Parts: sequence; C-alpha cells; structure tokens
Amino acid sequence: MVQVVFEKVSKAYGDTVAIPGLDLVIESGEFVSLLGPSGCGKSTTLRMLAGLEQPTSGSIRIGDRDVVDLAPAARDIAMVFQSYALYPHMTVAENICYPLKKRGLAKADRAIKLAEVAALLQLEPLLARKPGQLSGGQQQRVALGRALVREPSVFLLDEPLSNLDASLRAHMRAELIGLHRRLGKTMVYVTHDQLEAMTMSSRIAVMRAGELQQFAPPDEIYNRPANVFVAGFIGTPAMALADGSLADGGGHLVVHVGPLAVALPYAAAARPDAVTVGIRPEDVLVGEGPWQAQVRLVEPTGYETIVALDAGGLALTARVPGSNALRVGETVAFDLRRERIHLFDKSDGRRWEPAGR
Amino acid sequence: MKKRPAWLASLITWPIVLLIAFPLLWMLITSVKPAAELFSTSPTLLPKAITFEHYARVLQDTPFLQYFANSMILATSTTVVVISISVLGAYSLVRFAYPGRETLASLVLFTYLLPSVVLISPLYLMLVSIGLANTLASLVIAYTSFALPYALWLLRSFMAGIPQDLESAAMVDGASRMGAFIDVVLPQALPGIISTALFTFILAWNEYLYALVLVNSDEARPLTTGVMTMLISAFNIEWSLLMAASVLMSVPLIIIFAGFQRHLTSGFGAGGVKG
Amino acid sequence: MLDAMSRERRDALLGLLLIAPTVLVLGAVIVYPLLSAIALSFQSVYTPTLEGHWVGLANYRELLGSGGFWAALLTTAIWTAGTLTLQIVIGVAMALLLHQNILFRSLARSLVLFPYFLSTVVAVLVWRWLFNDLYGIVNHGLMAAGIIDAPVNWLGAMPNAMFSIMVVGAWKFFPFVVIAVLARLQTIPESLYEAARIDGAGPISRFFDVTLPQLREVLTIVILLRTVWDFKEFDLIYLMTGGGPVNGTRTLPLIVYQQAFGLNQMGMAAAYAVSMMLVMLVFMLAYLQRARKAAA
Repeated sequence: MVQVVFEKVSKAYGDTVAIPGLDLVIESGEFVSLLGPSGCGKSTTLRMLAGLEQPTSGSIRIGDRDVVDLAPAARDIAMVFQSYALYPHMTVAENICYPLKKRGLAKADRAIKLAEVAALLQLEPLLARKPGQLSGGQQQRVALGRALVREPSVFLLDEPLSNLDASLRAHMRAELIGLHRRLGKTMVYVTHDQLEAMTMSSRIAVMRAGELQQFAPPDEIYNRPANVFVAGFIGTPAMALADGSLADGGGHLVVHVGPLAVALPYAAAARPDAVTVGIRPEDVLVGEGPWQAQVRLVEPTGYETIVALDAGGLALTARVPGSNALRVGETVAFDLRRERIHLFDKSDGRRWEPAGR
Repeated sequence: MKKRPAWLASLITWPIVLLIAFPLLWMLITSVKPAAELFSTSPTLLPKAITFEHYARVLQDTPFLQYFANSMILATSTTVVVISISVLGAYSLVRFAYPGRETLASLVLFTYLLPSVVLISPLYLMLVSIGLANTLASLVIAYTSFALPYALWLLRSFMAGIPQDLESAAMVDGASRMGAFIDVVLPQALPGIISTALFTFILAWNEYLYALVLVNSDEARPLTTGVMTMLISAFNIEWSLLMAASVLMSVPLIIIFAGFQRHLTSGFGAGGVKG
Repeated sequence: MLDAMSRERRDALLGLLLIAPTVLVLGAVIVYPLLSAIALSFQSVYTPTLEGHWVGLANYRELLGSGGFWAALLTTAIWTAGTLTLQIVIGVAMALLLHQNILFRSLARSLVLFPYFLSTVVAVLVWRWLFNDLYGIVNHGLMAAGIIDAPVNWLGAMPNAMFSIMVVGAWKFFPFVVIAVLARLQTIPESLYEAARIDGAGPISRFFDVTLPQLREVLTIVILLRTVWDFKEFDLIYLMTGGGPVNGTRTLPLIVYQQAFGLNQMGMAAAYAVSMMLVMLVFMLAYLQRARKAAA
C-alpha cells in the first residue's frame, strides 16, 4: 500500500514559475483528482510524478522512496494518456504485452497476464487489431489494459476520458470507479471536468495557477469551499458571488449584499470588514420571501428551470424545480437559505465561518 | 465527396504535360533508332525501325558497366553513411534539450545553401593530403557533405511529427530513452527514413561536380562523369550511344520513381520547404 | 560521476552524444573546408603542384578590378532571374492545374515531376541533342512549322545560349515549385472557398483573395531556395555551354571552376568563391528582412 507525497515541489521554466511550491499527501488506495482550469499545473504535477518532467526543487516520494532521480520505468507506476498513446505499429496484444516485455517476462507468463487483462476489459475480440482500427472507446480500454497489466503501485491518468463522446464518457466513468473499487490501488487522476472529479474521487485537489487551493473530499469542496476561486469554480450553474459587508444587528450578524440585508443567527463578534458573499442557485427559493427580483433569463432544462434574477443590481441564479410559467421581465419574490450563505474574507478570499456554524 | 473529373483542366493540362515529357520520350525514341535514321536531315518522330544495337554497344564496348557498378557502390555507401548519422542527429535535434541546439539547427540550414563550388578546392586539397585522391571513398566523403544536411532536415521534420506521448508511454512502460527510440520512434519514422534514403540515393547517383574534380581514373569513375568523358571527344559525339547510355543511367531512378513516388515527394511537403 | 548528475543532465548528454557524429562529419567536410577556402583566397596556389604563397588581398583586387567578376556577376544575375521567373510561373500554374481532378492525374504528376530527379548529365545530353543545329528536333520542328527558315544555333551564339540554358533550367527545376505549392494547395480548407463563393466571389477573385494569400508563405521560401540554388548552379551550365560562347554564359560558379582547374589558380578560385558567397549572403539577408517586414 503506497502513499504518494509531494514535498515543497516547485517547477520553473527559465524565469516563469509554473508551480511555486506544492505540498500534497495522497494516502494509499485513494482516488485523487487534480482539478482545475487549463494552465493550472495539474498535468505538470502528474508528469513530474511520472518522471516525464523534472521538478526544479522539492521531493516526490512514492511509498518510502524518493523518486525524483528515478526514470519513469523504475517508479512502479502506470499511466494512461489523454491521447491513449497506443503504439500504432503494434497490435493490441503487443501493445498490452510491451511493458511485460520490457520487464523481461517470459512469453508464457506474458500470455497469461494478457488473457487476464483482456478478460477484465472485454478486449478478446480486438487482440489482433491495430490501434488505427479501433474506436475511441476501444482504444481507451486498451490503454487502460496496458496500464493494468503492469500491476503498479500507483495509477496515473491524464484526462483519459476527454476525447470520448458524452455517453461513452459516462459509461467509462462508471467502469473506472468499479475498477478502483476492485483493485484498491492509489489513483491520481487529472481532469478539468468537475463532474468526473466529483463522482470518482475520494479527495479532490483543486489547483489554480500552480497553487493548491483546496484538498478535500467532494462534499466538503462543494459545501465548504475554502476560497472564492473554489467556490466559483465548482458547481454548475456557478455560485453567485458579490461584494458585501458584515454588520452587527443587535448581537447577531447581518450581511449586506446588494440591496439586501440578510440576518443570520450567528454571533456578530470578530468579523472581517469586507466580504464576498456566495449563494448557490439551489439555495435561492423563488416564489415567496421577503425580497423581490426581476427575471432576466429563463432556461428550461426539462427537469428544472434555471432562472437568472436581478435583485436591484444583485445578480442571482436560481433553480426552480419542474417547468413553470415564469416570464422574462416578471417580478418575483424570493428567499435565501440563510445557513447556506457562503462568506469569504475580501482581503484574502479565504472562507470565513461565523462562530457557531 | 468524389469530385467529377475536370474536363477543361484536363484538356489544358495534358498537352503541357506531354510537352514537358517530350524530351524524355525523344531520348527513348532516339536510343532505339538506327544510326542512319538519326542523322538524316529530315528526322522522323517515330522510328521506322527499332534497334537495340546502341544499347549493346554501350554495354559491351565501353566501360559503362564499370561506371554503373561504381555509381551503385557510391550511392549505396553514401546513403548508408548519411542515414545512419542523420537518424541519430535528427532525433537529437528534435527530442533533446542542450545548449547550442538551436544554433546547430540553424547551421545545418545554412549548409543547405552553401555552394559546393566553394568547397571543391579545399576538399580536393584535403583528400589529396590524406591519400584518398581518385578513390570512391573520397567521393563518399564529399557527397556526405551535401547529402547530410538535406537528410537531417528531412528527417527532423518527419520525427517532429511523431507524437511525443508515444515515447513517454514507452518510458513509463519500462523502456530506456534509447529503448523508446528503437521500439517506437524508428518504426514510426520508417516512411520518412525510406523517403530520405531514396532522396539521398538519387542525390548521390546524380552528382557531377565532385566526381569531376576528385576522380579521373576509370576504376573509380561514376556514371555521371564517365558517360560525359567516354562518348564526347573533339571529333565526334556519338549521340545514339549517348541516348542509350542516358536511358540506362536513368534506370534506377525510373524504378524508384515508379515504385516510391509518394515517398519521394512527401519529403518536400513535410520538410523540404518548411523552415 | 554519472550518478551524481541529475536526470536532466544525463539526458542532455545523451542528446549531445547523438548529434556528435553529425557535428564531427559536418565539421570535417564543410566547416574546415570553408575556413580553408577563405584562407586559400589570400594565397596564390598552383593546382598541379599545390605549391602556394601568401598574397594578401591581391586576388581580391585583381578579381574586382579586372572586370571578370562583375561580368560574371551580371551573367549570373541574368541567368538566375530568367530561369527563376520561368520556374515560378510554370511551377505555380502547373500546381494549380494538377490540383484539379485531372484525368489520369497521378500519371500526369509523375511525368511532370520526373525532370527534377533526373541526372543533370542526362538532362543536358537530351537537350543538347534536341538543340543540335543540324539534327535536333527543335530546329526541324520549328522549320516544319514555318516559324524559322534556317536552323538556329541554340548553344553557340548569344543571346540564344542564355535563353537555352534558362529554358533547360526551368524544365529541370520547376517541379520543385510544383511539389511545394501543390502540397500547400492541398491543405487549404475547402470551407474558405465555400465561404468566398457564398460571398459572391468568382473563380479569379477566389484565386487572388483566397489561394494567393495562403500561398504567400510557401512561395517566399520557395523563391528564396530556388534563387540560391539557381545562383550556385554549376553542372547544368557547364555541361550545356561550358560558359560560352565567349563567356556569354559564364556564371560565377563556372569561373571558380575554371580558375581552379583550367587556369590552375586555386587561390584565385577561392577568392571568386568567397566573393560569390558574400553576394549570396547579402541577398539572403536582404530578402529575409523584406519577407519578415511583409509578413508583419
């Protein structure tokens, strides 16, 4: 059982610093997603773990070995690439057996392992074909097979599903989750797709501009985002964020945001001066409430309706269940789930929890 | 979407194509015309009689076969030497990072444009001083000087087109750097290597100036200078023999062209022109 | 020592190792001779005996003063300009035609490209035979068509000789232009033409507004390469006319050869060669600068 540790890992290209300093501990058997927008450094981090790029400083440990000076081949890892990187001139069988050949396994042993993996991923009918003759989904499974056959300590996956179409992606997500459960191996998964990260991971590492924003299980990332970036990045439709301030309303907290004054049942002491207020669409209750807003946009999705509201200059999004007769320009009453209003200290963007919550 | 044939374009193009191909057709026709027909003052387009006597004479009465063998050895050796060196060099330029790499690449580009005329005197002096004057080896060395930059440039483009992920995957799978090169890069670059080899062979086969300067004995003479010296004297130019010799000299080219034209011209698209 | 080096260092070392044979070979057969040529140009060397002595700038002074250099430079410029124009015009035209769905297109392509891969020796022999004043088919054909009354001396009189070599040069080298331009034409997305058609552009306007701008980059490079290669062409002119009649087609490369192996003056030959290279260098730099400005 293998732990993966990044300690003060930095990466600079000449004068440009891509990753200033990363500290991350991935426990054995975890499925960790590195999630973030393009350019956030998630692929670079994965590649440093694989040994395809060298950190400028810091140490990377797999198990109890420092692997920074080790070639990829010596790290006991396997990787699935976004482009699958199947060897075009070899058949599927040869592709899968390649790592075993490199390890020096005898022909008979290779055949046994090949059969196991082929059975697991239903690749038997494809073994004699070349990658050029396979569909995207089939290629992806072969790439997985090539990784599985090595029985490594850690699996690295670099956006393996992004080249598949939507329905195939959903299917493969389920397969990967099942695979992780069966093998119990440590998996490090890079993606820019929140849905993948949320559904598959035991913990998500949200990254931005080379810096780790939050490293926590999915529900904590969703319900208690550590800063403004994570709050705005996770969740579709996005959380509404606006500038606000806190005041003492006779012993309890009052949040002033836009034209609204929201009373919260928490103590008002020790509060930051300026805050950013975040409200998720599902926490805006349209129909009845103390406030009014104008409907700006109505987007029915079948299951629910996404409504953009303008509450006297404050832009909010709401999810209204079912389809309904809301019209653009209409004025509606609304309420907010007080206990689910997110507050972030404006000075550093970090989450602020009032005492008592 | 299969386009319908362009009739107008065909009508314009084919006469031009035939005009361009005419000199070569004429060469063929001349080579099988009996001498009498050749030197009449009213020549005919198509031969009245076909004879292979000129070919027989070229092959039997002249050192042609010796020259042909020399050219074969020369072109093959040059190709082997150039490909071996340039495959490694191209890989280095494309996949490694070291100080001076870009400068080297620019220098290679520069030698592409160097006139061989500049180098003939010093090369001549150099080869004489190391005792290789008048040998096939001296030609291989000289030919490498202009074939190597070409080959490097072509191979560099071909290799740059191979996705880097493939080598990364091979290294994660357990291959060393050079192991990944042999297992993955070489097989993928094979069409490019074939193109470059064919191109190098043709360059070496067709080279004239270096052969003129560096070799003047029949034992080491290749076809290009051989054909020119043996049949052109002050008194008489044996055109019939020359045409037959020309056809024979072009045989390897025709074979390569017929079988591998795709390979030859892919080099231009990929690397020959793009900087 | 190897263990102490980081992986990056070891990798870079491997890269250097792989390029080493190339560097050594090119150093020996290009760099060293090039430097020798420059050194040679300051000496007077008698070719058969290879004896030489230092003469400083005397070679250059003679070369620039005697007029041999300037006349040859002019000849070379005329030859280059003439054959280049033909190569580009015919090359682009042919590429455009071959881009269409011609009947037997691959055969047409093969026939068009063939002259480029042919040996210059063969090309020259064939054309000299075609141009032969008594028995050549060109004269017979033109006379039969009534275009000329008497056989023309294509290679032994000026300006005929210059035109002849320009034509043969065009025939031999235009396929290079065809290949490069055709390859580029095949990458122009059909959607650009479709959009132009929808906007109301006819075929001529589509050529100037869609095709030509797309070809600009490749043509810039092709013109540069062909200019340089035509300028330094030796084999074709030497074998066609030997530089004659009376030095009418004696280009700079031919003078270099004649000096080295005809007049046995290797030092002088080197001086001519170096001067030629300088002219080419100036041209290349000026050209690239203009091209960069035009692209910006």
